[in-house]
Amino acid sequence: MKPRLEIVSAEKRSTTLPVVLDVEHVSKRFAVNGSGEISVLEDIGFTVRRGEFICILGRSGCGKSTLLKILAGFTPPSAGTVRLNGKPAGRPGPDRCVVFQEDALFAWLTVRENIAFGLRGRAMTRLEKERKVARFLSLVGLTDFADYLPAEISGGMKQRVSLARVLILQPEILLMDEPFAALDAQTREEMQDLLLRLWSEMSHTIVFVTHDVGEAALLADRVLLFDRAPGRIKEEIRIALARPRQKVEDDYYALCRSITAKIKAL
Amino acid sequence: MIRRIFLTTPSHRLLNWLIPGLFFLAWLGVCEIGLAPPYLLPHPKDVLATASSYLFGDAGQTAYAGRFFEDLMASGTRVLLGFGLAVIAGIPLGVLSGRLALVNRLLSTTINALRAVPGISWLPLAMVWFGIGIKTTVFLVALAAFFPVYLNAEAGARQVSPTLLQAGAMMGVRRLRGTFAILLPAAMPNIITGLRLGMGISWAYLVLGELTGVPNGLGALIMDARMLGRIDIIVVGIILIALIGRLCDVGLHQVLRLSFKSARRIS
Repeated sequence: MKPRLEIVSAEKRSTTLPVVLDVEHVSKRFAVNGSGEISVLEDIGFTVRRGEFICILGRSGCGKSTLLKILAGFTPPSAGTVRLNGKPAGRPGPDRCVVFQEDALFAWLTVRENIAFGLRGRAMTRLEKERKVARFLSLVGLTDFADYLPAEISGGMKQRVSLARVLILQPEILLMDEPFAALDAQTREEMQDLLLRLWSEMSHTIVFVTHDVGEAALLADRVLLFDRAPGRIKEEIRIALARPRQKVEDDYYALCRSITAKIKAL
Repeated sequence: MIRRIFLTTPSHRLLNWLIPGLFFLAWLGVCEIGLAPPYLLPHPKDVLATASSYLFGDAGQTAYAGRFFEDLMASGTRVLLGFGLAVIAGIPLGVLSGRLALVNRLLSTTINALRAVPGISWLPLAMVWFGIGIKTTVFLVALAAFFPVYLNAEAGARQVSPTLLQAGAMMGVRRLRGTFAILLPAAMPNIITGLRLGMGISWAYLVLGELTGVPNGLGALIMDARMLGRIDIIVVGIILIALIGRLCDVGLHQVLRLSFKSARRIS
């Protein structure tokens, strides 16, 4: 486990800590049936520092999920580079883990086995693995559901498993692709709280894709606001709200309104 | 609620036998009333007597007495060999063809063309190639069972969500290990369907393969009895093949469930 970092202010995080992810001039074009190419992403560039929580906010179809796939290594960019800790990020691996929007659990494995999946082949004793899995089961509150199959648990629980199975690998960066979009409002709030709690305890570096303004304002240190297609970074918005943030405060709502106005103006 | 009671009490086990039971009663009725003469449809009690002699009688007592285990061994070996060959070729080729466009291009025309050829058309050719005997039967069984095994493995492998494979890749599982840890388990329900269909077809083609020239086996028994006009033996043979086919299906499913988590949990 990483040593527990002290809570640093968002300001400090985004100026003094080392850069984990460096995205330079990334663009992506897809071939369309017979009629040439369409451009999905154009000249995307940004950096993420250790422990930062970045939200990529944009309407559906703006290419934000494509960007996340490029960061994860699932698809190569048409141009540009992605660096992780200074080195070119190549094939997908446990240093960049994704929490998918849809259910991507292994249906034939129990909750416990799903969480332990990434530890296969790691140099650990069986007992160490068991302890570690038990710890992450309890971190996401699923100890009592360890032996259930994915088909037997709720959507919110499935996303808890998805989170635990990647956190256990201690990725350099956590990539989240609208992970709570398919959940009901109440479960979504619980998951947001859980994510923030884990983040403040373990200081992950997170890139979180969402189309929900309120979610971005609640979670992020910085929001990268995406233009309509083709995706470009229209504006970078630093969220200065003190943590823990509440969805009932006036400045939270003022911020949400101003971001919403910017999106409408696109 | 009604459904639950039916499926959780022993009565649903009886449900399995409802149609065979009714069928038997109808048969008994037809014979008792005399709607069909014995040379077209023998009476159940005669068939039962023939069956018991065929199964448990001493060899040589009558023409067919005590031959069952020899026939079963002969037919069982042919089915297992043929089905085994179909599985060994069908699953790897099917999975490859489901995942790799190149392999699919290479195989699909040939396989879909061959699939359209009725199995019986191969019989004369197989007899020329392999002569009369076990090889011809095994060839026919393997050929027939290959198609359902291959096609279902292909469909299963094709339908595996790319997200699952991406999830594996990000957790450090590369292609070869991912094939066994993710692809095959995820495709398991389809693979099982293919295996069960293939096993069923194996028994059907066994009889075809044993039609000519082999002295033993359940198919040979039926053909032999036809020439001698022993319709009771034909009926016994048909019922035995049905029972053994069903047993093989259940056995196959159980073996798979015992061997694979995915077979136990998601199919």
